[in-house]
Amino acid sequence: MHQLKGLRLVLAAYTALFIAFLYGPFVIMAILSFQQGPEGGPQFPIIAWSLFWYKHVLGIAPPSRVAPLPIGEALTRSLILAFATMVVSTILGTLTAQAFRRRFKGSSFVFYLIILGMMVPGVLLGLGMALVAEQAGIPRTWWGTAFVLHVVYTYPFCFLVMLAIFNRFDASVEEASWSLGVTPATTFRKITFPMIFPGVLSAMLFAFTLSYDEFPRTLFTAGSQVTIPIAIYGTFAVEIHPNLFAFGVLTTLFSFALLTIYGVLMALSVRRAAARSIGLQEEIA
Amino acid sequence: MTATNTDIVYVAGQSAPAKPSFLARNRHYVLLLPGVLWMLVFLVMPLLMMLYVSFWTQTTFAIHSTLTLKSWVTFFSSDTYVEALMRTLRIWLIVLGLTFAIGYPTALFIGQFVRDKTVQTILLVACVIPFWTSFLIRVLAWRPMLGREGAINIVLMKFGVISHPISQLLFTELSVIIGMVQIYVVFMVGPIAFMLARIDDSLIEAARDLGASPMTIFRRIIFPLSLPGVTVGAIFVSVMVLGEFATSAALSGRKVNLLGNIIVTQVGSLKWAFAAVAGVVLTVVMAAVIAGLLRLVDLRREL
Repeated sequence: MHQLKGLRLVLAAYTALFIAFLYGPFVIMAILSFQQGPEGGPQFPIIAWSLFWYKHVLGIAPPSRVAPLPIGEALTRSLILAFATMVVSTILGTLTAQAFRRRFKGSSFVFYLIILGMMVPGVLLGLGMALVAEQAGIPRTWWGTAFVLHVVYTYPFCFLVMLAIFNRFDASVEEASWSLGVTPATTFRKITFPMIFPGVLSAMLFAFTLSYDEFPRTLFTAGSQVTIPIAIYGTFAVEIHPNLFAFGVLTTLFSFALLTIYGVLMALSVRRAAARSIGLQEEIA
Repeated sequence: MTATNTDIVYVAGQSAPAKPSFLARNRHYVLLLPGVLWMLVFLVMPLLMMLYVSFWTQTTFAIHSTLTLKSWVTFFSSDTYVEALMRTLRIWLIVLGLTFAIGYPTALFIGQFVRDKTVQTILLVACVIPFWTSFLIRVLAWRPMLGREGAINIVLMKFGVISHPISQLLFTELSVIIGMVQIYVVFMVGPIAFMLARIDDSLIEAARDLGASPMTIFRRIIFPLSLPGVTVGAIFVSVMVLGEFATSAALSGRKVNLLGNIIVTQVGSLKWAFAAVAGVVLTVVMAAVIAGLLRLVDLRREL
């Protein structure tokens, strides 16, 4: 297979095209976000380059016929919701994965029950939860009914990440700690947690980004106080303006900032682990 | 050395019974409890509720819990709903076929032709990066691409391929399909590339030494070994496409109604029972699709 130079070139060119297909719309969107405002529409040609729509998103543009995006409060809600979801689903995922390190009766039932959470389409869960809330007389809020569904969605991802981490985990280190008389709690804090920390970080990243962008589960369950994705969905019905594109570019930059923080934390934790093992070796020597 | 070891084990063994033995014995059940409870209350209960409500009586402004089959009869005797069901199935099949056809060559390149692990990772990350833009924004980004004055029409006109802009690109079923393929194709590429990269090189070398042509090697070795990846990808794509409603809302100008759109509209007009019927139908379709896909390949054995 590896001598097929011709086929290799064709496939390489195809892959380049494929990646262009993935990025194409976003590039067009980024270009159009610099459209002149407020007259310029969300299409070519660019009348004049300007930062108007960025100012519009940030609320510092002069008032015009285009209503500003209701993002201030929605963004705060989305961030709080994503943070809470991240904390709860990472804890649940870690606990469950810890339990799965031993074989137990009913493990495949529990496994599929959890995986179901990421498989069931959001619109069905949102509908079901809205029905339950309606009948039980519970008000639908982003911090209540929407939040529990976000955890239902992100917890399976955290669980799978932690399961993969525990599969590669050398249990003898923990056993050594226990047999030296260290309490399970201290063992977890001093031995287990530092070892699984990179996994926890990945699970947190997964949960945060999934929840931050989550939308079909939130649509029926958030009530009148919207999150960012619901606010964007609200603009679908009416005419769209380049301010959405500017907003898209800004949120993408925000995501990359988040990813960078994750990368730095990851690198730090790897370096600290390396430093610690060197320190241990020196102590032994 | 041996003596000290047994001493320590002895001490640890002695201190253990002093603790609450029930907790110690059932430690993993205690660990499982929060997660399982959460899923039972917030996942299973809403789904059961949906099934239950689909049999309730729907009046213009309210529902009450008298059991009836009326909503089911209405659903299946209404052209709009049956059409939406058929359209959902058709779009799902087309998107599934296209994500496979478009994704497989890329996965083949990444998994089999790129030998360097770093380059492999870079290519896969390059495929995943767009996911850090909000899903809805990515869908909306197709509008300036496909519209009458969109990028595709402008480029085609410039090169003289067409003399008039094609207006069928946006606000049609085609635009919904294009949008969905672009958003979901990566879920096909990832699992297939993963399975392809795991194929043992010596297998392929052995086949070549025995005189198999590249085509035979692909047909008899590479493709069958990539099938579990195809199944996982197909499950991902199916689950997401069948439950879709945002892409069709954004790119079809509400002209293409999928089952998901029906649910959203019915909830909007407080027709809870109809929404529940559509939801149950969607669940059944999805369960059948996943069960069918799992029949093709035994995933637990392959992964």
